[in-house]
Amino acid sequence: MIEFKGAEATIEVIQLYNQKVIVKTRNEKKYRIKSLDEKLRSFRTKREARIILKLNNSNVNSPKILALGKYTIMMSFVEGVLMRDLPENEEFMKPIGNEVKKMHLSGVVHGDLTPANIIIKNNTPFIIDFGLAEVTNNLEEKAIDLLLFKRSVSKKSFEIFLSSYIEKNPEGKKVIDKLKEVELRGRYNVRTLT
Amino acid sequence: MAIIGIESSAHTFGVGIIQNGEILANVKSMYKIGNKGMIPIEVSEHHIQNAADVIKLALDTAKITIKDLKGVGYTKGPGMGPCLQVGQLSAKTLSYRLKIPIAPVNHGVAHVEITKHTQKMKDPLALYVSGGNSQILVLDKNTRKYRILGETFDMGLGNAIDNLARSLGLEHAWGSDVERLAKDGSYIDMPYTVKGMDFSFTGLLTNAIKKLETEKKEDVCYSFQETAFSMLCEATERALLLSKKNELCVCGGVAQNTKLAKMLEEVASENGVRFAKAPNEFNADNGAMIALVAENNIKNNNFEKLENCDVKQRYRIDEVVVYD
Repeated sequence: MIEFKGAEATIEVIQLYNQKVIVKTRNEKKYRIKSLDEKLRSFRTKREARIILKLNNSNVNSPKILALGKYTIMMSFVEGVLMRDLPENEEFMKPIGNEVKKMHLSGVVHGDLTPANIIIKNNTPFIIDFGLAEVTNNLEEKAIDLLLFKRSVSKKSFEIFLSSYIEKNPEGKKVIDKLKEVELRGRYNVRTLT
Repeated sequence: MAIIGIESSAHTFGVGIIQNGEILANVKSMYKIGNKGMIPIEVSEHHIQNAADVIKLALDTAKITIKDLKGVGYTKGPGMGPCLQVGQLSAKTLSYRLKIPIAPVNHGVAHVEITKHTQKMKDPLALYVSGGNSQILVLDKNTRKYRILGETFDMGLGNAIDNLARSLGLEHAWGSDVERLAKDGSYIDMPYTVKGMDFSFTGLLTNAIKKLETEKKEDVCYSFQETAFSMLCEATERALLLSKKNELCVCGGVAQNTKLAKMLEEVASENGVRFAKAPNEFNADNGAMIALVAENNIKNNNFEKLENCDVKQRYRIDEVVVYD
Protein backbone atom coordinates (compact mmCIF):
# COMPACT_ATOMS: atom_id res chain seq x y z
CA MET A 1 0.00 0.00 0.00
CA ILE A 2 1.46 3.36 -0.99
CA GLU A 3 1.50 5.50 2.10
CA PHE A 4 3.09 8.65 0.76
CA LYS A 5 4.28 9.97 -2.58
CA GLY A 6 6.98 12.62 -2.39
CA ALA A 7 8.80 14.47 -5.15
CA GLU A 8 11.62 11.97 -5.10
CA ALA A 9 10.35 8.72 -3.67
CA THR A 10 7.32 6.74 -2.65
CA ILE A 11 6.91 5.27 0.81
CA GLU A 12 5.13 1.96 1.22
CA VAL A 13 4.26 0.28 4.51
CA ILE A 14 4.21 -3.51 4.28
CA GLN A 15 3.79 -6.35 6.72
CA LEU A 16 6.89 -8.54 6.90
CA TYR A 17 6.35 -11.62 9.10
CA ASN A 18 5.19 -10.11 12.37
CA GLN A 19 6.42 -6.57 11.90
CA LYS A 20 5.56 -3.54 9.80
CA VAL A 21 8.36 -2.24 7.60
CA ILE A 22 8.83 0.73 5.31
CA VAL A 23 9.98 0.44 1.72
CA LYS A 24 11.26 3.69 0.26
CA THR A 25 11.64 3.62 -3.52
CA ARG A 26 13.16 6.31 -5.69
CA ASN A 27 11.04 6.25 -8.82
CA GLU A 28 12.04 6.86 -12.39
CA LYS A 29 11.75 10.47 -13.57
CA LYS A 30 10.75 10.59 -17.20
CA TYR A 31 11.84 14.18 -17.75
CA ARG A 32 15.53 13.35 -17.43
CA ILE A 33 17.59 11.03 -19.59
CA LYS A 34 17.94 7.45 -18.45
CA SER A 35 21.65 7.42 -17.64
CA LEU A 36 21.44 10.56 -15.51
CA ASP A 37 18.25 9.33 -13.87
CA GLU A 38 19.74 5.97 -12.91
CA LYS A 39 22.96 7.55 -11.70
CA LEU A 40 21.14 9.98 -9.40
CA ARG A 41 18.68 7.44 -8.03
CA SER A 42 21.25 4.78 -7.22
CA PHE A 43 23.73 7.29 -5.79
CA ARG A 44 21.14 8.86 -3.51
CA THR A 45 19.74 5.52 -2.39
CA LYS A 46 23.21 4.35 -1.42
CA ARG A 47 24.02 7.63 0.29
CA GLU A 48 20.83 7.61 2.32
CA ALA A 49 21.38 4.00 3.36
CA ARG A 50 24.90 4.77 4.44
CA ILE A 51 23.66 7.70 6.53
CA ILE A 52 20.94 5.67 8.24
CA LEU A 53 23.47 2.96 9.00
CA LYS A 54 25.80 5.55 10.49
CA LEU A 55 22.99 6.81 12.72
CA ASN A 56 22.04 3.26 13.72
CA ASN A 57 25.63 2.67 14.80
CA SER A 58 25.67 5.93 16.78
CA ASN A 59 22.43 5.03 18.57
CA VAL A 60 20.47 7.96 17.19
CA ASN A 61 16.73 7.36 17.37
CA SER A 62 15.88 6.78 13.72
CA PRO A 63 14.51 3.94 11.60
CA LYS A 64 16.77 0.87 11.48
CA ILE A 65 18.01 -0.16 8.10
CA LEU A 66 16.92 -3.69 7.14
CA ALA A 67 17.76 -4.21 3.48
CA LEU A 68 19.05 -2.31 0.48
CA GLY A 69 18.24 -2.56 -3.22
CA LYS A 70 19.47 -0.51 -6.15
CA TYR A 71 16.70 2.09 -5.80
CA THR A 72 15.00 0.90 -2.61
CA ILE A 73 15.68 0.94 1.10
CA MET A 74 13.79 -1.25 3.53
CA MET A 75 13.72 0.09 7.07
CA SER A 76 11.90 -0.40 10.33
CA PHE A 77 8.56 1.33 10.79
CA VAL A 78 8.49 3.86 13.63
CA GLU A 79 4.99 3.69 15.08
CA GLY A 80 4.05 7.08 16.47
CA VAL A 81 2.70 10.53 15.63
CA LEU A 82 4.40 13.23 13.58
CA MET A 83 5.48 16.11 15.79
CA ARG A 84 3.81 18.40 13.24
CA ASP A 85 0.44 16.85 14.03
CA LEU A 86 0.79 17.29 17.80
CA PRO A 87 0.33 20.47 19.83
CA GLU A 88 3.74 21.94 20.60
CA ASN A 89 5.08 20.44 23.80
CA GLU A 90 8.15 21.81 25.55
CA GLU A 91 8.76 18.45 27.21
CA PHE A 92 9.89 16.98 23.87
CA MET A 93 12.50 19.67 23.25
CA LYS A 94 15.15 18.30 25.61
CA PRO A 95 15.21 14.78 24.09
CA ILE A 96 15.01 16.22 20.55
CA GLY A 97 18.04 18.43 21.29
CA ASN A 98 19.86 15.34 22.49
CA GLU A 99 19.05 13.33 19.33
CA VAL A 100 20.10 16.18 17.04
CA LYS A 101 23.33 16.50 19.03
CA LYS A 102 24.07 12.80 18.59
CA MET A 103 23.27 13.03 14.88
CA HIS A 104 25.57 16.03 14.33
CA LEU A 105 28.38 14.50 16.38
CA SER A 106 28.22 11.39 14.22
CA GLY A 107 28.91 13.67 11.23
CA VAL A 108 25.43 13.77 9.72
CA VAL A 109 23.36 16.85 8.89
CA HIS A 110 19.69 16.33 8.15
CA GLY A 111 18.97 19.04 5.58
CA ASP A 112 15.27 19.35 6.42
CA LEU A 113 14.98 19.32 10.19
CA THR A 114 11.36 20.31 10.81
CA PRO A 115 8.48 18.90 12.89
CA ALA A 116 7.31 17.06 9.77
CA ASN A 117 10.39 14.86 10.03
CA ILE A 118 10.23 14.00 13.73
CA ILE A 119 8.04 11.18 15.02
CA ILE A 120 7.07 11.03 18.69
CA LYS A 121 6.79 7.43 19.87
CA ASN A 122 5.88 6.96 23.54
CA ASN A 123 7.22 10.43 24.34
CA THR A 124 10.53 9.60 22.64
CA PRO A 125 11.49 11.51 19.48
CA PHE A 126 12.71 9.72 16.35
CA ILE A 127 14.28 11.57 13.43
CA ILE A 128 13.13 10.37 9.99
CA ASP A 129 13.63 11.05 6.25
CA PHE A 130 17.29 11.40 5.39
CA GLY A 131 16.65 12.05 1.71
CA LEU A 132 18.36 15.46 1.90
CA ALA A 133 20.92 14.49 4.54
CA GLU A 134 24.65 14.64 4.06
CA VAL A 135 27.75 13.33 5.75
CA THR A 136 29.67 16.45 6.72
CA ASN A 137 31.23 18.19 9.69
CA ASN A 138 30.66 21.63 8.16
CA LEU A 139 29.53 23.93 10.99
CA GLU A 140 27.38 26.04 8.70
CA GLU A 141 25.36 23.04 7.53
CA LYS A 142 24.78 22.09 11.14
CA ALA A 143 23.79 25.66 11.98
CA ILE A 144 21.25 25.59 9.14
CA ASP A 145 19.69 22.44 10.63
CA LEU A 146 19.23 24.39 13.86
CA LEU A 147 17.89 27.43 12.02
CA LEU A 148 15.24 25.38 10.22
CA PHE A 149 14.16 23.90 13.53
CA LYS A 150 14.17 27.33 15.20
CA ARG A 151 11.79 28.66 12.55
CA SER A 152 9.27 25.91 13.24
CA VAL A 153 8.99 26.08 17.06
CA SER A 154 8.39 28.76 19.69
CA LYS A 155 11.21 30.79 21.20
CA LYS A 156 10.91 29.06 24.58
CA SER A 157 10.89 25.61 22.97
CA PHE A 158 13.98 26.42 20.96
CA GLU A 159 15.84 27.59 24.09
CA ILE A 160 15.14 24.28 25.82
CA PHE A 161 16.16 22.42 22.65
CA LEU A 162 19.38 24.41 22.46
CA SER A 163 20.35 23.95 26.11
CA SER A 164 20.20 20.19 25.68
CA TYR A 165 21.96 20.42 22.27
CA ILE A 166 25.04 22.14 23.75
CA GLU A 167 25.20 20.01 26.88
CA LYS A 168 28.42 17.95 26.73
CA ASN A 169 28.72 18.86 23.05
CA PRO A 170 32.37 19.69 22.22
CA GLU A 171 31.40 21.69 19.11
CA GLY A 172 28.09 23.03 20.45
CA LYS A 173 29.28 26.57 21.06
CA LYS A 174 30.88 26.80 17.62
CA VAL A 175 27.65 25.70 15.92
CA ILE A 176 25.65 28.29 17.85
CA ASP A 177 28.13 31.05 16.96
CA LYS A 178 27.74 30.00 13.34
CA LEU A 179 23.95 30.10 13.69
CA LYS A 180 24.17 33.72 14.91
CA GLU A 181 26.42 34.55 11.97
CA VAL A 182 24.05 32.93 9.46
CA GLU A 183 21.08 34.79 10.93
CA LEU A 184 22.90 38.11 10.66
CA ARG A 185 23.27 37.78 6.90
CA GLY A 186 20.29 39.82 5.82
CA ARG A 187 19.09 38.03 2.73
CA TYR A 188 20.22 34.54 3.60
CA ASN A 189 17.07 32.61 2.96
CA VAL A 190 16.55 29.30 4.63
CA ARG A 191 13.25 27.82 3.64
CA THR A 192 11.34 25.08 5.32
CA LEU A 193 10.47 22.32 2.90
CA THR A 194 7.54 20.96 4.83
CA MET B 1 -6.24 54.54 -21.18
CA ALA B 2 -2.97 53.71 -22.92
CA ILE B 3 0.03 52.92 -20.72
CA ILE B 4 3.58 52.83 -22.05
CA GLY B 5 6.22 50.56 -20.54
CA ILE B 6 9.97 50.92 -20.97
CA GLU B 7 12.41 48.07 -20.36
CA SER B 8 16.18 48.58 -20.41
CA SER B 9 17.67 46.31 -17.75
CA ALA B 10 20.12 44.51 -20.06
CA HIS B 11 20.82 44.31 -23.81
CA THR B 12 17.27 45.13 -24.91
CA PHE B 13 15.66 48.54 -25.06
CA GLY B 14 12.02 47.57 -25.31
CA VAL B 15 8.84 49.64 -25.39
CA GLY B 16 5.33 48.29 -25.05
CA ILE B 17 1.91 49.93 -25.04
CA ILE B 18 -1.10 48.41 -23.34
CA GLN B 19 -4.71 49.48 -23.04
CA ASN B 20 -7.02 47.74 -20.58
CA GLY B 21 -4.93 44.59 -20.76
CA GLU B 22 -4.75 44.59 -24.55
CA ILE B 23 -1.22 44.79 -25.94
CA LEU B 24 -1.17 47.41 -28.70
CA ALA B 25 2.59 47.45 -29.32
CA ASN B 26 5.70 45.56 -28.24
CA VAL B 27 8.81 46.72 -30.04
CA LYS B 28 12.49 46.75 -29.22
CA SER B 29 16.04 47.43 -30.25
CA MET B 30 18.70 44.97 -29.17
CA TYR B 31 22.38 45.62 -28.53
CA LYS B 32 24.39 43.26 -30.72
CA ILE B 33 26.38 40.98 -28.48
CA GLY B 34 29.82 40.05 -29.76
CA ASN B 35 31.95 37.43 -28.13
CA LYS B 36 32.92 39.44 -25.04
CA GLY B 37 29.67 39.55 -23.11
CA MET B 38 28.02 42.84 -22.24
CA ILE B 39 29.96 45.95 -21.30
CA PRO B 40 27.35 48.02 -19.42
CA ILE B 41 28.49 51.40 -20.65
CA GLU B 42 28.46 50.28 -24.31
CA VAL B 43 25.01 48.79 -23.92
CA SER B 44 23.67 51.96 -22.32
CA GLU B 45 25.15 53.97 -25.21
CA HIS B 46 23.11 51.79 -27.59
CA HIS B 47 19.98 52.46 -25.52
CA ILE B 48 20.58 56.23 -25.54
CA GLN B 49 20.98 56.23 -29.34
CA ASN B 50 17.80 54.24 -29.90
CA ALA B 51 15.42 55.28 -27.10
CA ALA B 52 13.52 57.99 -28.99
CA ASP B 53 13.16 55.90 -32.16
CA VAL B 54 11.84 52.85 -30.33
CA ILE B 55 9.30 54.95 -28.39
CA LYS B 56 8.14 56.53 -31.65
CA LEU B 57 7.92 53.12 -33.34
CA ALA B 58 5.78 51.86 -30.43
CA LEU B 59 3.36 54.78 -30.77
CA ASP B 60 3.12 54.25 -34.54
CA THR B 61 2.55 50.52 -34.12
CA ALA B 62 -0.21 51.16 -31.57
CA LYS B 63 -1.67 53.81 -33.90
CA ILE B 64 -1.89 56.39 -31.13
CA THR B 65 -0.22 59.73 -30.51
CA ILE B 66 1.91 60.68 -27.55
CA LYS B 67 -1.06 62.67 -26.16
CA ASP B 68 -3.05 59.43 -25.74
CA LEU B 69 -0.64 58.11 -23.11
CA LYS B 70 -2.20 58.12 -19.66
CA GLY B 71 0.65 56.57 -17.68
CA VAL B 72 4.19 55.30 -17.92
CA GLY B 73 6.14 52.43 -16.36
CA TYR B 74 9.84 51.60 -16.38
CA THR B 75 12.11 48.85 -15.09
CA LYS B 76 13.51 49.90 -11.73
CA GLY B 77 15.62 46.75 -11.44
CA PRO B 78 17.22 44.27 -11.20
CA GLY B 79 19.65 44.96 -14.01
CA MET B 80 22.77 46.85 -15.00
CA GLY B 81 22.84 50.38 -13.56
CA PRO B 82 23.83 52.40 -16.66
CA CYS B 83 21.25 50.53 -18.76
CA LEU B 84 18.44 50.91 -16.23
CA GLN B 85 19.10 54.65 -16.05
CA VAL B 86 18.30 55.14 -19.75
CA GLY B 87 14.83 53.64 -19.32
CA GLN B 88 14.33 55.52 -16.08
CA LEU B 89 15.23 58.86 -17.65
CA SER B 90 13.04 58.23 -20.71
CA ALA B 91 10.09 57.39 -18.47
CA LYS B 92 10.64 60.36 -16.17
CA THR B 93 10.81 62.69 -19.16
CA LEU B 94 7.49 61.34 -20.50
CA SER B 95 5.88 61.62 -17.08
CA TYR B 96 7.13 65.19 -16.57
CA ARG B 97 6.26 66.50 -20.01
CA LEU B 98 2.88 64.78 -20.35
CA LYS B 99 1.97 65.14 -16.66
CA ILE B 100 1.04 61.45 -16.41
CA PRO B 101 1.58 59.07 -13.46
CA ILE B 102 4.77 56.98 -13.39
CA ALA B 103 5.24 53.49 -11.89
CA PRO B 104 8.61 51.79 -11.25
CA VAL B 105 8.39 48.05 -12.04
CA ASN B 106 10.34 44.99 -10.91
CA HIS B 107 11.62 43.12 -13.94
CA GLY B 108 11.00 39.65 -12.50
CA VAL B 109 7.45 40.45 -11.41
CA ALA B 110 6.78 41.67 -14.96
CA HIS B 111 7.97 38.38 -16.50
CA VAL B 112 5.65 36.33 -14.29
CA GLU B 113 2.70 38.69 -14.66
CA ILE B 114 2.84 38.80 -18.48
CA THR B 115 2.88 35.00 -18.51
CA LYS B 116 -0.15 34.82 -16.22
CA HIS B 117 -1.89 37.49 -18.31
CA THR B 118 -1.30 35.95 -21.75
CA GLN B 119 -1.84 32.35 -20.61
CA LYS B 120 -4.87 33.14 -18.41
CA MET B 121 -3.37 31.60 -15.29
CA LYS B 122 -4.74 32.34 -11.85
CA ASP B 123 -2.19 31.29 -9.29
CA PRO B 124 0.70 29.32 -10.79
CA LEU B 125 3.99 28.10 -9.43
CA ALA B 126 6.41 30.11 -11.55
CA LEU B 127 9.88 29.10 -12.62
CA TYR B 128 11.66 32.29 -13.59
CA VAL B 129 14.91 31.64 -15.46
CA SER B 130 16.80 34.46 -17.10
CA GLY B 131 20.36 35.67 -17.36
CA GLY B 132 20.64 37.11 -13.89
CA ASN B 133 17.95 35.16 -12.06
CA SER B 134 16.75 31.62 -11.57
CA GLN B 135 13.97 31.37 -9.02
CA ILE B 136 10.94 29.28 -8.11
CA LEU B 137 8.13 31.62 -7.09
CA VAL B 138 4.64 31.58 -5.59
CA LEU B 139 2.43 34.56 -4.84
CA ASP B 140 1.65 34.95 -1.15
CA LYS B 141 -2.06 35.84 -0.96
CA ASN B 142 -1.75 37.71 2.34
CA THR B 143 1.19 39.98 1.61
CA ARG B 144 0.56 40.13 -2.19
CA LYS B 145 4.28 39.59 -2.62
CA TYR B 146 6.11 36.80 -4.43
CA ARG B 147 7.76 34.26 -2.15
CA ILE B 148 10.96 32.65 -3.34
CA LEU B 149 10.70 28.92 -2.68
CA GLY B 150 13.98 28.08 -4.34
CA GLU B 151 16.70 29.85 -6.26
CA THR B 152 20.21 29.65 -7.60
CA PHE B 153 23.02 29.86 -5.07
CA ASP B 154 25.29 31.61 -7.53
CA MET B 155 24.62 32.64 -11.15
CA GLY B 156 21.47 32.71 -13.24
CA LEU B 157 21.16 29.86 -15.73
CA GLY B 158 20.97 32.24 -18.72
CA ASN B 159 24.28 33.75 -17.73
CA ALA B 160 25.83 30.28 -17.47
CA ILE B 161 24.49 29.29 -20.92
CA ASP B 162 25.79 32.54 -22.48
CA ASN B 163 29.15 31.89 -20.85
CA LEU B 164 29.30 28.44 -22.38
CA ALA B 165 28.23 29.88 -25.75
CA ARG B 166 31.13 32.34 -25.65
CA SER B 167 33.54 29.53 -24.87
CA LEU B 168 32.46 27.74 -28.06
CA GLY B 169 34.45 30.29 -30.08
CA LEU B 170 31.57 31.54 -32.22
CA GLU B 171 31.57 35.06 -33.60
CA HIS B 172 28.25 36.04 -32.06
CA ALA B 173 27.51 33.99 -29.01
CA TRP B 174 23.88 33.44 -28.03
CA GLY B 175 22.30 30.91 -25.70
CA SER B 176 20.34 29.57 -28.66
CA ASP B 177 23.63 28.29 -30.16
CA VAL B 178 23.94 25.93 -27.21
CA GLU B 179 20.43 24.63 -27.85
CA ARG B 180 21.16 24.17 -31.58
CA LEU B 181 24.42 22.27 -30.99
CA ALA B 182 22.83 20.18 -28.23
CA LYS B 183 20.46 18.58 -30.75
CA ASP B 184 23.23 16.30 -32.05
CA GLY B 185 24.99 15.46 -28.79
CA SER B 186 25.18 12.49 -26.49
CA TYR B 187 25.48 12.40 -22.72
CA ILE B 188 28.71 12.69 -20.75
CA ASP B 189 28.90 12.84 -16.97
CA MET B 190 28.68 16.32 -15.38
CA PRO B 191 28.24 17.61 -11.82
CA TYR B 192 24.65 17.92 -10.62
CA THR B 193 23.88 20.23 -7.68
CA VAL B 194 20.45 20.46 -6.11
CA LYS B 195 19.83 21.17 -2.45
CA GLY B 196 16.16 20.94 -1.60
CA MET B 197 14.61 23.55 -3.86
CA ASP B 198 17.83 25.46 -4.49
CA PHE B 199 20.45 24.79 -7.14
CA SER B 200 23.87 25.93 -8.29
CA PHE B 201 25.34 26.34 -11.77
CA THR B 202 28.95 27.50 -11.40
CA GLY B 203 30.44 24.04 -10.84
CA LEU B 204 28.57 22.69 -13.86
CA LEU B 205 29.73 25.61 -16.03
CA THR B 206 33.40 25.26 -15.07
CA ASN B 207 33.24 21.55 -15.74
CA ALA B 208 31.56 22.05 -19.13
CA ILE B 209 34.10 24.66 -20.26
CA LYS B 210 36.93 22.36 -19.22
CA LYS B 211 35.38 19.44 -21.11
CA LEU B 212 35.36 21.52 -24.31
CA GLU B 213 39.12 20.87 -24.49
CA THR B 214 38.69 17.13 -24.84
CA GLU B 215 35.09 16.38 -25.80
CA LYS B 216 32.92 17.20 -28.81
CA LYS B 217 31.12 20.57 -28.65
CA GLU B 218 27.80 18.89 -29.34
CA ASP B 219 28.23 16.46 -26.45
CA VAL B 220 29.20 19.21 -24.01
CA CYS B 221 26.21 21.38 -24.98
CA TYR B 222 23.82 18.44 -24.79
CA SER B 223 25.09 17.27 -21.41
CA PHE B 224 25.16 20.78 -19.98
CA GLN B 225 21.54 21.35 -20.99
CA GLU B 226 20.34 17.96 -19.77
CA THR B 227 22.06 18.40 -16.41
CA ALA B 228 21.00 22.01 -15.79
CA PHE B 229 17.40 21.46 -16.89
CA SER B 230 17.09 18.24 -14.85
CA MET B 231 18.23 20.21 -11.81
CA LEU B 232 15.55 22.84 -12.44
CA CYS B 233 12.89 20.17 -12.98
CA GLU B 234 13.76 18.35 -9.77
CA ALA B 235 13.63 21.53 -7.67
CA THR B 236 10.42 22.60 -9.41
CA GLU B 237 8.73 19.27 -8.81
CA ARG B 238 9.59 19.47 -5.11
CA ALA B 239 8.17 23.00 -4.96
CA LEU B 240 5.06 21.85 -6.82
CA LEU B 241 4.33 19.16 -4.27
CA LEU B 242 5.01 21.51 -1.38
CA SER B 243 2.95 24.45 -2.64
CA LYS B 244 0.12 22.23 -3.98
CA LYS B 245 -0.46 24.62 -6.90
CA ASN B 246 -2.35 23.29 -9.91
CA GLU B 247 -0.65 25.47 -12.51
CA LEU B 248 3.00 25.67 -13.53
CA CYS B 249 4.59 28.24 -15.78
CA VAL B 250 8.09 29.07 -16.94
CA CYS B 251 9.21 32.56 -17.89
CA GLY B 252 12.34 34.64 -18.52
CA GLY B 253 14.90 34.42 -21.31
CA VAL B 254 15.74 30.73 -20.85
CA ALA B 255 12.03 29.86 -21.14
CA GLN B 256 12.54 30.27 -24.90
CA ASN B 257 14.45 26.98 -24.87
CA THR B 258 12.10 24.31 -26.22
CA LYS B 259 13.87 21.43 -24.46
CA LEU B 260 13.35 23.01 -21.02
CA ALA B 261 9.68 23.58 -21.76
CA LYS B 262 9.28 19.97 -22.87
CA MET B 263 10.83 18.65 -19.67
CA LEU B 264 8.71 20.91 -17.46
CA GLU B 265 5.62 19.80 -19.34
CA GLU B 266 6.54 16.25 -18.37
CA VAL B 267 6.86 17.27 -14.71
CA ALA B 268 3.48 19.00 -14.89
CA SER B 269 1.62 16.13 -16.52
CA GLU B 270 3.16 13.61 -14.11
CA ASN B 271 1.68 15.65 -11.25
CA GLY B 272 -1.60 16.45 -13.01
CA VAL B 273 -1.12 20.21 -13.21
CA ARG B 274 -1.52 22.60 -16.14
CA PHE B 275 1.65 23.85 -17.79
CA ALA B 276 2.03 26.99 -19.89
CA LYS B 277 4.55 29.51 -21.12
CA ALA B 278 4.08 32.80 -22.90
CA PRO B 279 5.07 33.30 -26.57
CA ASN B 280 8.79 33.98 -26.94
CA GLU B 281 8.43 37.71 -27.50
CA PHE B 282 7.33 37.97 -23.85
CA ASN B 283 10.04 35.68 -22.48
CA ALA B 284 12.75 37.78 -24.04
CA ASP B 285 13.05 41.17 -22.36
CA ASN B 286 10.22 43.38 -23.57
CA GLY B 287 8.35 46.58 -22.82
CA ALA B 288 4.83 45.11 -22.90
CA MET B 289 5.33 43.29 -19.61
CA ILE B 290 6.47 46.52 -17.95
CA ALA B 291 3.42 48.31 -19.36
CA LEU B 292 1.15 45.55 -18.00
CA VAL B 293 2.44 45.82 -14.43
CA ALA B 294 2.45 49.62 -14.64
CA GLU B 295 -1.18 49.59 -15.77
CA ASN B 296 -2.17 47.36 -12.84
CA ASN B 297 -0.26 49.58 -10.42
CA ILE B 298 -1.71 52.82 -11.76
CA LYS B 299 -5.25 51.34 -11.75
CA ASN B 300 -4.71 50.64 -8.05
CA ASN B 301 -3.43 54.19 -7.47
CA ASN B 302 0.03 52.88 -6.75
CA PHE B 303 2.34 55.26 -8.55
CA GLU B 304 5.47 57.05 -7.48
CA LYS B 305 6.41 60.71 -7.04
CA LEU B 306 8.77 61.76 -9.81
CA GLU B 307 11.60 62.58 -7.39
CA ASN B 308 11.36 59.08 -5.86
CA CYS B 309 11.78 57.27 -9.18
CA ASP B 310 15.16 55.59 -8.81
CA VAL B 311 16.86 52.47 -10.16
CA LYS B 312 18.00 49.53 -8.06
CA GLN B 313 20.50 47.08 -9.55
CA ARG B 314 19.74 44.40 -6.98
CA TYR B 315 15.99 44.69 -6.69
CA ARG B 316 14.64 41.53 -5.07
CA ILE B 317 11.34 40.20 -6.38
CA ASP B 318 10.07 39.47 -2.85
CA GLU B 319 10.19 43.18 -1.90
CA VAL B 320 7.37 44.17 -4.23
CA VAL B 321 3.60 44.25 -3.72
CA VAL B 322 1.79 42.90 -6.80
CA TYR B 323 -1.61 44.17 -8.01
CA ASP B 324 -3.97 42.66 -10.54
